[in-house]
Amino acid sequence: MFSKFSKQTSTIFLDKESGVFDIDGRVDIILSPSLYWVKKVSLPVKYVREAKSLLPSLFEEILPEGIYSYSAYKSEEEFYIFAYEDKLILDTLASKGVTSSQIRNVYFAQSELFSQESGLKIDESRSLYTKDEVLILMPSVWLKENVDLDLSAIVFSKNSVTLKQFSHLVNDRSLYTFIGILTVLLVLIAIEYFITLHKIDAISQARSEVFSKNGLKSTMLQNRSLLKEYKNQHMTQTRVREYTSELLKLSLKDNVKLSLMEIKNKTYKVEFMGTKNGSESEIIKELKSKHIRFKSTIKDESTRLEIEL
Amino acid sequence: MNRMNPLHIIILLFALVVFFMFKLNSVKGELKSEGLSYKETLSLASDLTGLRDVYGDKNSVKQSLERVLSQSSLKQAEMKKKITSSGIILSSESMDKVELNSFMSKIFNGSYNITALKIKRLSDKTASFQMEIKW
Repeated sequence: MFSKFSKQTSTIFLDKESGVFDIDGRVDIILSPSLYWVKKVSLPVKYVREAKSLLPSLFEEILPEGIYSYSAYKSEEEFYIFAYEDKLILDTLASKGVTSSQIRNVYFAQSELFSQESGLKIDESRSLYTKDEVLILMPSVWLKENVDLDLSAIVFSKNSVTLKQFSHLVNDRSLYTFIGILTVLLVLIAIEYFITLHKIDAISQARSEVFSKNGLKSTMLQNRSLLKEYKNQHMTQTRVREYTSELLKLSLKDNVKLSLMEIKNKTYKVEFMGTKNGSESEIIKELKSKHIRFKSTIKDESTRLEIEL
Repeated sequence: MNRMNPLHIIILLFALVVFFMFKLNSVKGELKSEGLSYKETLSLASDLTGLRDVYGDKNSVKQSLERVLSQSSLKQAEMKKKITSSGIILSSESMDKVELNSFMSKIFNGSYNITALKIKRLSDKTASFQMEIKW
């Protein structure tokens, strides 16, 4: 019987005892009453969205233990309300060769098939039958009239449901809470990102102002080079003054005279006249004690020192 | 399955969070680098401006040197001046040691870039003098 509906069709009737489907592309699925719980009730509310919050309590006493999703639609002044297990349906589909990506829409047999007046045979032994405006499964032999189920003639209603793949792991509330947290996190990160970009711009602008205010060269390389040049110059000038001061502070013997001080090509040359009887060694000793590095040349009675600047 | 699956939204949001975290991390690094660069520029500008004002301001060096040379104590030294585009050469064939001492004190206490100097003793009281200052 099922082979009739299973070949390359765009609609399948899903029952726990269905055979394996050969599906190519996406399909609409009609759920057998064996895969959901249904009630027809009168509720003191006008709209379906108001009724939805009441559904868990309306099924509370009759449902076996499990994780259920709920759905409802209105028919005249009454509501058809449904409870179903997403995981049970998805597992059943998987066992029949239908993956979740192949599901187009999922409908209850109640909303799509219940108006049939006679029984609808779904296999050799069972039929769908409408009793008290609720579609139920019953043995075919109990019915006088039975016709084969023809899915190709069905015009679908708008009462489809969405199956949740992980409803058995996390409920909707947790998912939406998590979505909320992620959204807030995303917004905070995005704000921080744009603030950081703004700070970079501000620093970059301040840096440009430092350049223009101080008349710096256009590149840091040029400025570093210039600074190095000035620093070297400053060091040399500091040493000129320092060495001159130390040379003039030397305690010379009466006959020893400072005869020449010359700075040329970054070399400080100093000449003392009248150095004899060891007086030159006193000069050298005194300068060494001041940690001044120099070369000395002694000739006759003159001592010449050369200090690198 | 017409409605968007919340899990797909979570995956999308998670991907966006990871992407923006990565971008944020990248711009934070850029901010740090920009901050260090700014501090380096400030420090360099401060050092460079200070040293340039001291050694690189030709007019300031000239004016300051003119003030030193115009002092009455140097009048007798007959100091010769030779100004070039890069500096000034000062010389005196014979200079009294008191005048020389006074002059050198002023030069050494100022921020002049002395590139050449020659002081040669002539007698107990006099010396010849030559100095090159660059700007």
